[in-house]
Amino acid sequence: TLTLTSLIILTLPITTTLLQNNKTNCFLYTTKTAVTYAFAISLIPTLLFVQSNQEAYISNWHWMTIYTLKLSLSFKLDFFSLTFMPIALFITWSIMEFSLWYMHSDPHINRFFKYLLLFLITMLILVSANNLLQLFMGWEGVGIMSFLLISWWHGRTDANTAALQAMLYNRIGDMGFIMMMAWFIIHLNSWEFQQIFLTNPKNTTLPLLGLLLASAGKSAQFGLHPWLPSAMEGPTPVSALLHSSTMVMAGVFTLIRFYPLMENNLTIQTLTLCLGAITTLFTAICALTQNDIKKIIALSTSSQLGLMMVTIGINQPHLAFIHMCTHAFFKAMLFLSSGSIIHNLNNEQDIRKMGGLYKTMPITSTAITIGSLALTGMPFLTGFYSKDPIIETANMSYINTWALLITLIAVSMTASYSTRIIFFALLGQPRYPSLTQINENNPYLVNPIKRLILGSIFMGFFISMNTIPHTTPQMTMPPHLKFMALAVTLLGFTVATELNNMTHNLMFKQPSRMHTFSTTLGYYPITTHRILPYLSLTMSQNLATTIMDSIWLEKMIPKNLTTMQKTAASLVSNQKGLMKLYFLSFLLSITLGLLIAL
Amino acid sequence: MPYIYINIILAFVISLIGTLIYRSHLISSLLCLEGMILSLFTLNALLSLNINFALSTIVPLILLVFAACEAAVGLALLIIISNTYGLDYVQNLNLLQC
Repeated sequence: TLTLTSLIILTLPITTTLLQNNKTNCFLYTTKTAVTYAFAISLIPTLLFVQSNQEAYISNWHWMTIYTLKLSLSFKLDFFSLTFMPIALFITWSIMEFSLWYMHSDPHINRFFKYLLLFLITMLILVSANNLLQLFMGWEGVGIMSFLLISWWHGRTDANTAALQAMLYNRIGDMGFIMMMAWFIIHLNSWEFQQIFLTNPKNTTLPLLGLLLASAGKSAQFGLHPWLPSAMEGPTPVSALLHSSTMVMAGVFTLIRFYPLMENNLTIQTLTLCLGAITTLFTAICALTQNDIKKIIALSTSSQLGLMMVTIGINQPHLAFIHMCTHAFFKAMLFLSSGSIIHNLNNEQDIRKMGGLYKTMPITSTAITIGSLALTGMPFLTGFYSKDPIIETANMSYINTWALLITLIAVSMTASYSTRIIFFALLGQPRYPSLTQINENNPYLVNPIKRLILGSIFMGFFISMNTIPHTTPQMTMPPHLKFMALAVTLLGFTVATELNNMTHNLMFKQPSRMHTFSTTLGYYPITTHRILPYLSLTMSQNLATTIMDSIWLEKMIPKNLTTMQKTAASLVSNQKGLMKLYFLSFLLSITLGLLIAL
Repeated sequence: MPYIYINIILAFVISLIGTLIYRSHLISSLLCLEGMILSLFTLNALLSLNINFALSTIVPLILLVFAACEAAVGLALLIIISNTYGLDYVQNLNLLQC
């Protein structure tokens, strides 16, 4: 029964695309209801798993055999995939309902829904894959759908460049993925997870490095991160689905899948830890001074992804997974409420031009407040059940102190930029033109946000109560470490509130160097995106035009000769050029010699 | 020794003293250098004629060739100096730079 139900889940959305009745209006509603039913059905295997703790592997269709490698269609239904699938389906359901409102006036809304559905299917393939080939198919699928969806408004050049950026950075990560696949097929002759984990090879540094590169590309870690803030060019449902809850989780998810191999390899753990720590601090710094509400939330996603990497780096993949699941809820909700604000203010995305929405949009402001509180880990909301254990475990484990300090600073910055969003968007006096009509009455807008609010509040509790802990958490620790997470968060809140209140009374002056560093995303996109084309273009220009002439006509003999002679002469000689003295001494010595001889 | 040789050797010695002692212009030293070469040439030519050794008539010619090259080098040096300083005063040559 488990097998049948899970296969039905996957085929329900697929059949909707296969029917291809794009021209009718009811395509949207059938898609949405298909996803709803898929969500309901997917709860059945999850609850069965919760009750019995039995994992299942379905391997049904033998595709081909290449010499000694058997490739088949196999699904792995373990704790990770069974927990993540209903969450992904729930969030996709909410987002599809939201985009019925958001993309209402778009003539190609059927195609939009088709793309969202394709994305969902590839994401489910990725999550439930049991061998690396199927996972790679899902991986590439989500990459392509991300490209198509970011450039949805393809008349805008910024959207096109952002989609290209996403594609290229993902490709760099794919190199690592392919290297990993190649290593496994050469050394272990299999792409199935069971075989890889059973044989437990001893020298796994190289494939795990490839895996780390792949997840750094997919999950926007430092070095491959600029595509995530640029990907906000896509419509808000796209940002909510892809770039907050599901696609950027694909990289972290694959790292979590490989946790038996990573347990034994301390080098990779340290690398993951440091990379995650750098990412979370860097993106939190950049998020502090951005002015576009979607970019702040995107950089916040990147920061939380860094936090998940840190968790994997301290050898706690299950905590990272729980944080992934809970993060999906409140981040999707933050994006949806920002979409509601943007549409209601007539497509205004700059927080300097919002304000005073606290009274006019109560549901959205409630959603943002709850989402921000959950994000910062307020006790007993969702984020608390995942973020607090992470910080506690990090405080009590034997890790790099610098990485720990950076993570704590980034946690306090999380509180700061969340407060900034709330302050500028919701509080204060309105700074938008007064003729915009603010309307929250559409049920398509309100119901998804309400569902996600309920999820943000209760899901952490449910998930942590229903999962068996795989590693025993540290229960006893000194009180100052126990309260560390709460303390840094409160610090961030208070500092941000003070600073924001001061902005009412400040005179504008030139931004400091730190401020421009933060606003331009750390100068990283500006330098790296320009330097490679510039170097190659100048090299080719020099080769084509100036090199031949200047070498053969000038530098070969004449100029080289003069410089050689001059340097040699100045090196060797130690005269002072007193010509008359030398000549006179010459004359004197000759006359003296003649006089003595005669 | 025959008087004419002493005459020409005296001319050579006077030119030598003129090369070694000069006040301010570099070009006077180069002029006296030319004088030295001239007297040497005349001495060589007269000597090879008086000794009646036919093969030694080539010696003044070779001397002349080398003298021409050396005069050219000397003038090039002079031109470079007067390019940088405008005059060829020797007291200008006190900067040791390349």
